[in-house]
Amino acid sequence: MSDTSAVSLYRRPWQEWVTLAARLVLGVTVLVAGLLKVTRLDASVQSVRLYQILPWDFAGFVGTALPILEVVVGLLLITGTFTRVSAVVGSLLMLAFIIGIASVWARGISIDCGCFGGGGAIEASKTQYPLEILRDTGLLLAGAWTVWRPRAPFAVDNWLFAPIDHTDSALEPIAEDDKESTR
Amino acid sequence: MSQSNREQLRRNQAAQAQQKRLTRIIGVGAAVLVVVLIGVFVAVLFQNQAHTVKASSATPPNATASKDGIVVNPGKATAGAPVVELFFDYQCPVCKQFEGLYGASLKSLAESGAIELHYRNMTFLDNNLNNDASLRAGIGAACSDFAGKYSAYHDEIYTNQPAKEGDGYTDEMLSTTIPATVGITGADLTTFQACYKDQTTKAFVQGMNDSASKAGVNATPTVHVNGKDLPLQTIAGVQPDGLGDLIKQNA
Repeated sequence: MSDTSAVSLYRRPWQEWVTLAARLVLGVTVLVAGLLKVTRLDASVQSVRLYQILPWDFAGFVGTALPILEVVVGLLLITGTFTRVSAVVGSLLMLAFIIGIASVWARGISIDCGCFGGGGAIEASKTQYPLEILRDTGLLLAGAWTVWRPRAPFAVDNWLFAPIDHTDSALEPIAEDDKESTR
Repeated sequence: MSQSNREQLRRNQAAQAQQKRLTRIIGVGAAVLVVVLIGVFVAVLFQNQAHTVKASSATPPNATASKDGIVVNPGKATAGAPVVELFFDYQCPVCKQFEGLYGASLKSLAESGAIELHYRNMTFLDNNLNNDASLRAGIGAACSDFAGKYSAYHDEIYTNQPAKEGDGYTDEMLSTTIPATVGITGADLTTFQACYKDQTTKAFVQGMNDSASKAGVNATPTVHVNGKDLPLQTIAGVQPDGLGDLIKQNA
């Protein structure tokens, strides 16, 4: 279980390496997206308003808070801290983005998704909705996998949730399932 | 040591270890939550700060009653004349084209009183182009209204629009060159330059952009006749001298 033992890395099931990759792909993407927006909050607010889904004032709050949430979730995923909860939040973000993009597409609004900053109304011929939805779906899958199997190497969780050494204790051991569910 | 004592000791140690683990998890979790909350709080505060109305703020004399634009032909429109609103951004190349094609025609309709012409200045391209030239140009234009030169200043900004979108306008251009060209002089010039430098009309310009955004306008140029959108494609179908009739039909 512990990363400190040299052999453990090689004995990990392949699924844990998939999780590591999924966690890093989603985490790095979300972190970069957040960092590109966090210094330009006016632009972020404007991008959210262009979707014309949320009420004008609430869109202002979402546009302000979203980049910060993205930075934090990105960092948590990269470091493998509270992996399962972070992956749930990351997946919900992707789901929201997919719904948002599909919604503007269906309503015939022509915008840049503003996913990585920028954004703005653009010509209908320059929209990239299928590509944007495909990308976010891929990221959603990475998130869903991580929710399902949060355990992976190089994770703060491995230290944070390290089981108590019961080798010389008669107390009941923590069930494997319990450990997973707390992540 | 008796069996039960050893058992008791083990139980204590296990409970302590369990407690330590729990403290660790809760501690890290609380730290993450605090970071998120502080981050969001600071960002919201920062955003509010950036949009706070300064003590020295002022509204141009010819602003509309709802402060969502500036009336180009104050007091000239005949009773019942349609209200034509032009939404634009000073950094938008298509707005310059539109101005070149239909600007004169709109102005003569306004001068004759056939329409009431409102300019609704937007600044959203600052966000797309990552500069503040639209806002500064808007502040300058609104400041020029105190000298009664709004319309001329507006035209002159477009005349000096950079060939490359995103190059923006210099402070020199907005606060010295254009005022000189449109004839803001003497005491008016002093007032104008103080207004520009102190960004006295900033809140008003931001308010114009917000009200346009709230009205669902997010691309420029956009023309509204009595509050209804008159699509650019429709306007493009008529010659400039046919604009008056088109507006009448859609009023």
